[in-house]
Amino acid sequence: MKKHIYDRLVRSGRLRRRDMLKGMGATGALAAFSGVATGTSVRPAWAAAHGALRAEILGIPGVGAGSPTDADWQQVGELCLGPTKEIVAEGEFAGVELTFMGLNNQNLHNFLFRGFLKPWEAYTGATINWIDLAQADYNARLQQSIATGTVDFDIIEMGAPFEGDVLGRGMASEMPDWVKDVIDMDDYVDYLKAPVGTWDGKTYRVSIDGDTHTFAYRKDYYENEEFAEAWAASGGEGAWEQPKTWEQVNAHSKFLIGKTDPLTGLDAHGYLDPLKGWGGFGFYFLENRATPYAKHPDDPAWLFDPETMAPRVNNPGFVQAIQDVLDLIDAGAYPADQINADPGTTAFQQFLAGTGGMLNWWGDVGSSARTSDTSVVGDVVGFDINPGSEKVWNSQTGEWEMTPNVSPNNAYIGWGVYVMATVDGDAQKKKAAWSAAAHLGGKDLSLWASAYPSGFQPYRNSHFQYDEWEAAGYDRAFVEDYLSSNADSYNHPNAAVEPRIPGIFQYYSVAEDELAKGFAGQYGSAQEIADAIAAAWENITDQIGRENQIALYKASLGM
Amino acid sequence: MSTQGDLLHVVTSDAISPERRRLGKTLIWGSFGVMVAVFVVLGLSEAGRIGMEFATWRPALYAYLFWATCLCIAQVVLYGEQGKRSLFILPATLFVVAMVVFPLIFALGIAFSNWNLSSPDGRQFNGLDNVRQMWGDPFYWNALKNMVYYTLAILVEYAIAFGLALILASQIKARKFFRVAFLMPLMLSPVAVSWMVGKSMLEIRFGPISRLARWLGWDRPSFFGDPEIARAMIMMMDAWTFIPFMMIMLLAGLQAIPKEVQEAARVDGASGWRGFWEVTFPLMLPVSITAILIRIIFKLKLADVVINVTSGGPGGATDTVTSFIFREYRDRSNVGYGTLLAIVYLLLIVIAITVFMKLVDRWMNPRY
Amino acid sequence: MAEAQIFHDHEADKGHTAKWWMGRVAIYGVLFLWTVICLFPIYWTITTSFKMAPNVMQGHLVPFVDFEPRWRGWESLGLSPRLIGQESTVREEFIKRFTNSAITAVSASTLAVILGSMAAYGLSRFRYRFGFMRNPDISFFFLSQLILPPVVLALPFLVLYKELALLDTRIGLILLYTLTVLPIVIWIMRDQFASIPVELEEAALVDGLSIWGAFVTIVLPIALPGMVAAFILSLVLTWNEYFFAALLTSTDAKTLPVMVASQTGSQGINWWSMAALSTAAILPLIVIGILLERYIIKGMAAGAVK
Repeated sequence: MKKHIYDRLVRSGRLRRRDMLKGMGATGALAAFSGVATGTSVRPAWAAAHGALRAEILGIPGVGAGSPTDADWQQVGELCLGPTKEIVAEGEFAGVELTFMGLNNQNLHNFLFRGFLKPWEAYTGATINWIDLAQADYNARLQQSIATGTVDFDIIEMGAPFEGDVLGRGMASEMPDWVKDVIDMDDYVDYLKAPVGTWDGKTYRVSIDGDTHTFAYRKDYYENEEFAEAWAASGGEGAWEQPKTWEQVNAHSKFLIGKTDPLTGLDAHGYLDPLKGWGGFGFYFLENRATPYAKHPDDPAWLFDPETMAPRVNNPGFVQAIQDVLDLIDAGAYPADQINADPGTTAFQQFLAGTGGMLNWWGDVGSSARTSDTSVVGDVVGFDINPGSEKVWNSQTGEWEMTPNVSPNNAYIGWGVYVMATVDGDAQKKKAAWSAAAHLGGKDLSLWASAYPSGFQPYRNSHFQYDEWEAAGYDRAFVEDYLSSNADSYNHPNAAVEPRIPGIFQYYSVAEDELAKGFAGQYGSAQEIADAIAAAWENITDQIGRENQIALYKASLGM
Repeated sequence: MSTQGDLLHVVTSDAISPERRRLGKTLIWGSFGVMVAVFVVLGLSEAGRIGMEFATWRPALYAYLFWATCLCIAQVVLYGEQGKRSLFILPATLFVVAMVVFPLIFALGIAFSNWNLSSPDGRQFNGLDNVRQMWGDPFYWNALKNMVYYTLAILVEYAIAFGLALILASQIKARKFFRVAFLMPLMLSPVAVSWMVGKSMLEIRFGPISRLARWLGWDRPSFFGDPEIARAMIMMMDAWTFIPFMMIMLLAGLQAIPKEVQEAARVDGASGWRGFWEVTFPLMLPVSITAILIRIIFKLKLADVVINVTSGGPGGATDTVTSFIFREYRDRSNVGYGTLLAIVYLLLIVIAITVFMKLVDRWMNPRY
Repeated sequence: MAEAQIFHDHEADKGHTAKWWMGRVAIYGVLFLWTVICLFPIYWTITTSFKMAPNVMQGHLVPFVDFEPRWRGWESLGLSPRLIGQESTVREEFIKRFTNSAITAVSASTLAVILGSMAAYGLSRFRYRFGFMRNPDISFFFLSQLILPPVVLALPFLVLYKELALLDTRIGLILLYTLTVLPIVIWIMRDQFASIPVELEEAALVDGLSIWGAFVTIVLPIALPGMVAAFILSLVLTWNEYFFAALLTSTDAKTLPVMVASQTGSQGINWWSMAALSTAAILPLIVIGILLERYIIKGMAAGAVK
């Protein structure tokens, strides 16, 4: 519940606090609410210890101590139980069984949740069964559940792009007001606030992650004297420094062909495009290149025409992006076997392992660079928002505008925890499910998750307090660089936000297949590749229902 | 049911009394009636016509089991000793019918409908639209073409497996060790193989195979960059797991060749290479064909490795039909179309295998 | 290599000529090369599970020489000396998956061997006719199940199992796995029974045994190696099955291959934990392979050449 609504209700005398708390069954909740009423977002019962708590959990296991393990997750979960203890009495959910469906991403996601919720289970008495899905199986499993009506889970970890599929069908449980206050939704970064997480004006989502692609580059490449001299000698345009536009990225990538990597002594490479699909997720990486060309500041739409759902993927903006990749393939700018490199490969086997100079990825590659066992490049990585372009395509006029444009790609909009409507009939179960969700979306727990390998990125304004990160052992310059690249993308006025329409991953998946063929040289030109994608997209739209898609697309754009 | 021409002749003098016959018939039709009744009741309650509530169709399963049991008992009651013979084959038949025929009929229904799991309208019958779409789908034809390449690779696998079997059958030291070692790849899970071999050992920087390739003079090894090489790599990984299978079949065949045959060949002066082609190889033909046939069938299902290692790339060069349908089905939730593709594939396989078997049959037994 | 095949035991071949020596060297060369090809990936998997990131990146090969083995990979399963005494959610998870895999694979293989042996015996001894179907047709009906691409049955089974409340149960998986391996069992057992002389049973029948009595007491013991072979092959196929397990199970009945596959995700691959899990997934079959290998060959030998 928003504070101003609450205030108005209290003032008008239509609602007394005690009435509002009826049925919640926990006296601690009163204290939680009084915090809201007095205008602070800090819960008073443990406010004093709060700052110390945040510092304490950030010290588990400590930056530079390798990847955290199960014991660390449980410890963090235990320390962050404060808000739960305010609202839930010990043993209150004894006998309640919940099923949680989420990802098992390389022993992250669900594995962390297990650890985080273990102390919660011990305290509340509830038990949780787990459904772990591989990332690649996730969409398929969700769609099958929806289509066959087998909703065998009570809580789901889900990305916002699927909201059209799930919330649109009324399969989720609306968030109770007490949860909104526990998780402090005002603290979310702007683009995660409504309409994300809502459907028809109702709120459903506990955000646990914010997503945007940012640009990571190797600082040692740009501090390298030899490269700088060679760049000047080769007649390269501009100074040898971090590229700000895709034009520069491409020029630098071509320049780096045949050079030697200063860190590893192997071949140097420029920007790492993943040329292989990744269950739909690979298309985001072409979007990174395309958004500056194709996302016009005056037009919220960029993937489809909002009036007709006609794909824009074959407009000159996207074609330019495809052409850029084709040019780099022809020039031989990629590592060998790049055609078989999916985004997981480019980020973790290549970039973090010291191959390649530039990369787009979700922000967690930044914390992984420092704390993951896989990384060797921690000290030499710099971050920024996605590169821009020197021109932008205007779909309204059908012309190129020769003005610089920047448009960060807020790909995937982050993971959230949703409670399914299956719990609605049982008040105790419902409270238990939402309590678990709120625990995972807690303000402090999420700080820890954004600082350590978890699969999640910073997504609250309170995550961007550089002092906390510095105290935890991060290098100040590194963390400012990394966190501000995320914050700037989230809050960018021309950020490209993905449509939350049904079947969005089908569009991505078929696009990936066609792109893979195109990159393997099976089409004559970039335009032909783009046209093939557009034709496939038209088919999908017709299959799912064009009118419906138009309406949902407009809604997701806030039109 | 007739049992004329049995290999095992049984002299039976069962006098089946009319009462017994009636009892048998009653058992069959009675239990069948019970099963039909259960189905009707369940159907009605599903439609909301009657007051009874059933959470699932589980009772139908029990009814089928009941009918199947009664049918088996009735065979003995009705036909005595002859009936006991049918008992050998009946359980397996009833099991397979239940597990395959019903789902297959259901699959046919799905195949001719427009069913995208994301569509709010659900499943809609769309006649032959899917067939038309298939006709114009280059991905599908490309995958079928790849399957031909993959299948042809079996000949090479066969040659290698035969060679290894010959060596293992010959006089060597530590034969048992080699046999066990050679068998190992068959035991491994394809999922684990695709990760630990396809992704780890073939990793182009630190993978041991890449380092070997560099040592052998291939400066920038690239295993999945070129379509031909990528397909060859997939073939090799698949061959690696399945050569042991052909090898043990062939080895078993070799060991079963009677010593006298070899001796006779020896006396006739056939030795070495000639002896192999004139004596051993012809004797091994039946088992060879069996091995190749089973291998073809397994090859036609090839998918795990492709899905995990290349996702069909580069540009569809390594795509198999199953891996393509898998993507259509899983990533694009296009269930109707995917199922049609699978059924067409099934038809193609059945036709191809039948033709293959008939040809082999004619060739092996010319008198027919 | 063919020069040195089956005629090795003759006196004339035993002359230690230069040619003979070259043949020997060639044969053992091939043997050792192929042994390396077969075993190196297993060695690689097992050693990688004890590696740390730098060891993987630098391609270290030999433990204690190239790199110091660590328990990092096994810790991710909660199975290291340090963690074995502690409570661990990941280990519980692993053990649950492992148990599921073991129960489904063993039960399905057993069921398939029982059903398949009976059917195969019937087909090898009697002439049946169900409507238009005669023995070869019935055989083909069974064997054709092997051809069936799993994707055909995927969605029908999903819906069917949902209606029957068999989703995410081990029973459901066992039934399906039995179906997938039944053809292979019938194939092997049919040859197996065909190689057993009918006279044995005829003699037994004369002695007053029934058909089933003869089958159980006379034929089955002779066919035992074949049954073991069929059982092991079924075990290999069911233990490693991924597609249906991923589709039809979620919590209770999920198997090991699904767990291995879900190691991959958006966070790159921790090779050490991937390797540890892969090792755990392949080890049981490797042990079975080593212990029971002779049965496989014996089982397939009978009736292989008619």
